[in-house]
Amino acid sequence: MKRLMSLLPSLPALPIPWALLSHYRRHPLQLLALATMIVLATMLWTGVNQLTSQARASLEQSEQTVAERQQVVRDNGQALMVEDFVSLRLAGVCVMPWLEVTPASGNRIIGIDPLAAHCFGAGASRGGDQPLDGKPFVDMSTAASAGEAHLYLLTPDSTQDSDLPAAYHLKTFATGPETGELGDSFLLNLEALGVLVLLITALLLRSVYLLGLAQRRDSFALLHRFGVSPGQVQRWLVLEIIALALICVVPGVWLGRWLAAGLGGGFGQALDGLFDIPLYAGHGQGWITPVLVMLTVVVIACLGDLLLLRFRERLSLSVPNQGRLATALLLAGLVMAWLAPSLPWAFVAVALVFAGAAWLTPATVTHFANWRADQSKAPLARWRYRELAVLARRLTLPLVALQFALAMVLAVQALVTTFEDTFDRWLAQRLEAAYYIEVPVGADSRKAADWLTSKQVSNPGMNWHQVIRGSTRMTDKAAASSQQVDVYALAPISTLITGWGLLEAEDHPWEALAGNKGVMINEQLARRQTLGAGDTLQLVLDEQTRDMRILGVYPDYGRPVGEVLMNAEALPENFIARSESFSITPGELGITPVTDGLKRIWSVETLSMRDNSTIRELATGVFDQTFALTRAMTLLTLILAASALLMMGWVFFTTRAWYFRLLVVWGMSQQEVAGQLLRLALALTGGIALLALPLGVWLTWVLVHRINPLAFGWSLPMAVYPTFWLELGALSLAIGLSIAVLMRRQLGKPSVAPVSASALTGGER
Amino acid sequence: MNRYLGFSLGLLLLAGCSGDASEQGFAGLAGLEQSAAGETPYLQPGPGDRLAFPADFGPHPQHRIEWWYLTANLETTDGEPLGVQWTQFRQALQPRVASKPAPDSTAWPLQAAWMAHGAVSWKGKHYFTEKLARGDMGNAGATAVPFQVWLDNWRLQGNANNDRWQLQAAGEGWSYDLMLAIHGEPVGHGNKGFSAKSAGGEGSMYFSLVDIAITGEVVLEGKALEVSGKGWFDREWSSQLLKTGQKGWDWFALHLDSGDKLMAFQLRDDSGSFRSGTWLPAEGDPIPLSSEEVGVKALERRKGVPVRWQLSVPAYQVNLELSAPPGDYLNAGLYPYWESPVEVSGSHSGVGYMELTGYAD
Amino acid sequence: MTESLLAVRGLSKHFVSGNETVPVIEKLTFTLDQGLSLALVGRSGSGKSTLLNLLCGLESPDAGTIVMQGQVFDAGSAATREKAAAWASLRRQQIGVVFQEANLMPALTLLENVRFRAQLAGRDPANSEDWLTRLDIGDLARRYPDQVSGGQRQRAALAMVFAMEPALILADEPTGSLDRQTAAEVAQVLFDLQARYCCGLILATHDAELAAGCQQLLDLGHLSAV
Repeated sequence: MKRLMSLLPSLPALPIPWALLSHYRRHPLQLLALATMIVLATMLWTGVNQLTSQARASLEQSEQTVAERQQVVRDNGQALMVEDFVSLRLAGVCVMPWLEVTPASGNRIIGIDPLAAHCFGAGASRGGDQPLDGKPFVDMSTAASAGEAHLYLLTPDSTQDSDLPAAYHLKTFATGPETGELGDSFLLNLEALGVLVLLITALLLRSVYLLGLAQRRDSFALLHRFGVSPGQVQRWLVLEIIALALICVVPGVWLGRWLAAGLGGGFGQALDGLFDIPLYAGHGQGWITPVLVMLTVVVIACLGDLLLLRFRERLSLSVPNQGRLATALLLAGLVMAWLAPSLPWAFVAVALVFAGAAWLTPATVTHFANWRADQSKAPLARWRYRELAVLARRLTLPLVALQFALAMVLAVQALVTTFEDTFDRWLAQRLEAAYYIEVPVGADSRKAADWLTSKQVSNPGMNWHQVIRGSTRMTDKAAASSQQVDVYALAPISTLITGWGLLEAEDHPWEALAGNKGVMINEQLARRQTLGAGDTLQLVLDEQTRDMRILGVYPDYGRPVGEVLMNAEALPENFIARSESFSITPGELGITPVTDGLKRIWSVETLSMRDNSTIRELATGVFDQTFALTRAMTLLTLILAASALLMMGWVFFTTRAWYFRLLVVWGMSQQEVAGQLLRLALALTGGIALLALPLGVWLTWVLVHRINPLAFGWSLPMAVYPTFWLELGALSLAIGLSIAVLMRRQLGKPSVAPVSASALTGGER
Repeated sequence: MNRYLGFSLGLLLLAGCSGDASEQGFAGLAGLEQSAAGETPYLQPGPGDRLAFPADFGPHPQHRIEWWYLTANLETTDGEPLGVQWTQFRQALQPRVASKPAPDSTAWPLQAAWMAHGAVSWKGKHYFTEKLARGDMGNAGATAVPFQVWLDNWRLQGNANNDRWQLQAAGEGWSYDLMLAIHGEPVGHGNKGFSAKSAGGEGSMYFSLVDIAITGEVVLEGKALEVSGKGWFDREWSSQLLKTGQKGWDWFALHLDSGDKLMAFQLRDDSGSFRSGTWLPAEGDPIPLSSEEVGVKALERRKGVPVRWQLSVPAYQVNLELSAPPGDYLNAGLYPYWESPVEVSGSHSGVGYMELTGYAD
Repeated sequence: MTESLLAVRGLSKHFVSGNETVPVIEKLTFTLDQGLSLALVGRSGSGKSTLLNLLCGLESPDAGTIVMQGQVFDAGSAATREKAAAWASLRRQQIGVVFQEANLMPALTLLENVRFRAQLAGRDPANSEDWLTRLDIGDLARRYPDQVSGGQRQRAALAMVFAMEPALILADEPTGSLDRQTAAEVAQVLFDLQARYCCGLILATHDAELAAGCQQLLDLGHLSAV
């Protein structure tokens, strides 16, 4: 203050900014805190955002590529040879060789020919700057000499059957599990969380900024006394924060991008492995968007009320009753989330609930604390609850930020674990056996089935079933209309499949399916036709409509087509199978005797076989990385929120230090007072964690059960993880403990006087 | 001459497979590869080399690069000029003695890469398609007898006498099916077919067929056009053409109304240009032109590419102005270059083609 | 030992500032009997607040002895923890401290403050409201400190102190932030109650008029000058 006054006489040049900035000269830490918060918040949000947008761009590319995948096969089902490639190319058909080789030892490799890929168009010509340098993709010549190979000929989506010479036709080509919608869903959720991170960021910024303003109240009062109008001060404050934002946002964005690039390595690899598409550096957003967004956030977060107040004045609205409005918002949000007919509604609902929660949380804590204080007989307990009420009010913003962060971490954890679990089950469903072996065209699958049955007798560890895929029509219950459904028929119903989790089921559904007493349907069909276990389904089989009892509904994560799982015995003789294959887990026998046997039975030289274990390994590995990354990002948010609360809590406690010393003056030992402070801090952070719990669980529910079905038409199983709640609770208590430890040190210092005279009359309560 | 462009395409694409290749820069510009003892070396043409027919219509697997190249100045029945280009390149990744059999295609060998370019220029519009293929598989290659050069469904094929050729190619929005009547003997450029490409003596084997009457059909956007006109066919092969420092080239092949023909090129260099050419009088033998005898000057640029040129051969009273029709004739493939018909005015009138490289970047 | 409430012998306290030792109180000796009041005067920095802190055990002397209600506190005695506990117990039950301002917990009402203090001292909190009434602020009992005037806050502070039935009151400029009229009223209440409840009072003040209201006078400025 003295320095400020001494500055004022020499003011003529730039009096107000000088006087305003001189505050930071006396309190450089406050400026540093604000700047650090802006940098960290910017970095966090940019990082999260960069990653999601990169991932989205990458996913979009991969979808295009996946869409381009179809292959040319021979009508007679014979394996393709080099001659087929040559004759198709000579006929002007764009085909690219894809040579899958499983060497005697080592991993599967895939040979491709970048020269032949050129005709795939712009998408494939990227090969020009992406040399073939790594497994599993190698040049054809390398792959051809590596071992037993299976040649596929891929052709672009634009190729039609009519373009092909006689004796060839088109067939879909899948290199591995297509995760399209599952991946999309994950990204959507990640983006929703990105918005939340932005919100948390804004709250933290605002809390630190307001703290700074409160500490500068004296300076403002002094300026006012010197005849500077509040409007002038405000204008300078706006300029100040914009300047500060400009200085801090750019390095923040840079750090965020750096963070994203660092972490993106793993993320990119994950997507790469999943969708065969590398994550290209620089595919995320540029600089402009994050810089502008963060500048806006900083300005609104710090100066929003100035703008808002003006707005309110203009509309001459009275300030609404906050508690009631907050409750109304919360309830409206909850109801809206329940009934939301489309995605935007669901997002609005989430926004409403969070707004309501943000408003209600501090009020709730305050009310609860005051109520407890009134109930308390013990003087110290009463004092503590009254202090808690003050704390909750004074630390509203960082507390709400922490609550949101906790809720988000909770939701992300549940979501990620759910996704992990789902991916596991989804992989288990798609890759139910160790190997898939296609039945060659014209080959007798029954002979093979008999042979496998006999093999199984001597090898109890072996497990297999035959899969017949095709389609049929299902007639509507009421109307005369009918629609096409996929048929997924199995025989026998082996234990490879009976481990599937069912969404709903009759008693002993698998036994019933094995006994051909009904069918199962996938989630998509159940949702669309509002069918459930116990209902009856009409399928057109063999020209006749047959009633089939629905034994159960199985989850099918993201398959858009309705599907009926049935016992192959129920299929008529003349059923046209789109594909026939065997799913085999050979057990100790090993796959070679099985393939040798099948080759002999079918009199073919090569088998079209897929080794699922490598696919599973790859998929699991890459997902682990992605999930670890997601967790790291949310943890970062939590750490940021926690440190903001720590900082604010510490500043707040410092302003209260006089009163805590008063307890010592009144005859309590320092240990006792420290104990009280600890209980106070723990009550605060513990309470927030407790309040974050329902919000987090609700957020998980909305993401999993509302947003996902609205976006993709299927739901993820929702699970709760109480152990993780305990971990988060412990973390919150640790934050409280840290505040208490800092305070304990403050208590040790002799505090000569209460902070300031003005501070004594306002805002203490 | 020289379309020689980026045949490093294959090198880049397959850099991972043939590690040393990318070191050679642009189509082996950086010099002859030192071959280890026992390995087959690349052959380098020299001043004493002679042309041999019909063998030289076929491929030269022990040379690093070669091409078959046709440009045609045609007219539709309405008298509207229409330009056609067809080129097929071969780039060796591994030299092979010509007498040795080709490797087995089941091993997906990678000794050579092929690239084909097809283009049609009409009414200011330019259609261009690029195709690539791996050599020795069967879907791309060339043979001298019977004469044929093909890549997928594009094909140039000669009859038993090799005086009637058929050329078929198609891309997005265009296709052509042309009959070529070959007149006259092949013209060897430079020193009886050895065409120097620098003062230091590096060069290529280079011959042309300059009197080709063409008829046929060009289909553009589904519309069939009957066409006829003149063509110019080049064969060139080498293992090294440009020296380090040479940035690109400007090449011209002209049919003058006087019945004379002219081929001229310059290789641009930091320190100047190396020029060469062949004057083909209506009557009499072709006359090679030295660097000093040819004058080449760019007069006007369009998006950085010189589209109007002055070309002079003072010794034969030739002072021509060449100009490309309106439009953009950039062949936007992996290695973009300009390929357009030109109209000739000045001391002579006529038509022709020009190829300009090294401007696109 | 004497009958006195408080006996101070040879009390010294210095502060260390850099390499220099600054004496604040040197070899101070005085006694205060039960029911008497002592004015502590001296210019700013003469050690009035330090002495009050020493007399309630918030700071430790470098030398000398304080005997409070028969308990002896030696500067040299080693058992610091026990000494601290003994002082804390005295502060809790026997010694009431009044500062110039901020004597009340801001989150508690005036009544809750008085009750809180009484309960800490182990007294019956039932009389708390009476105390406020006696100090003429009974109608403000349910107000918070920031809702009443400075004089009313100091009255509440006195109510708190008397509600704990102290043997000794240490008051550090208790009227320092009040206007003259209010200060006089508050001082009058303090002296009246002190006399009625027969407790000792040590009053640090700049105000000669206020000092004159005390039975004894200790001029720290003078003493340190001697």
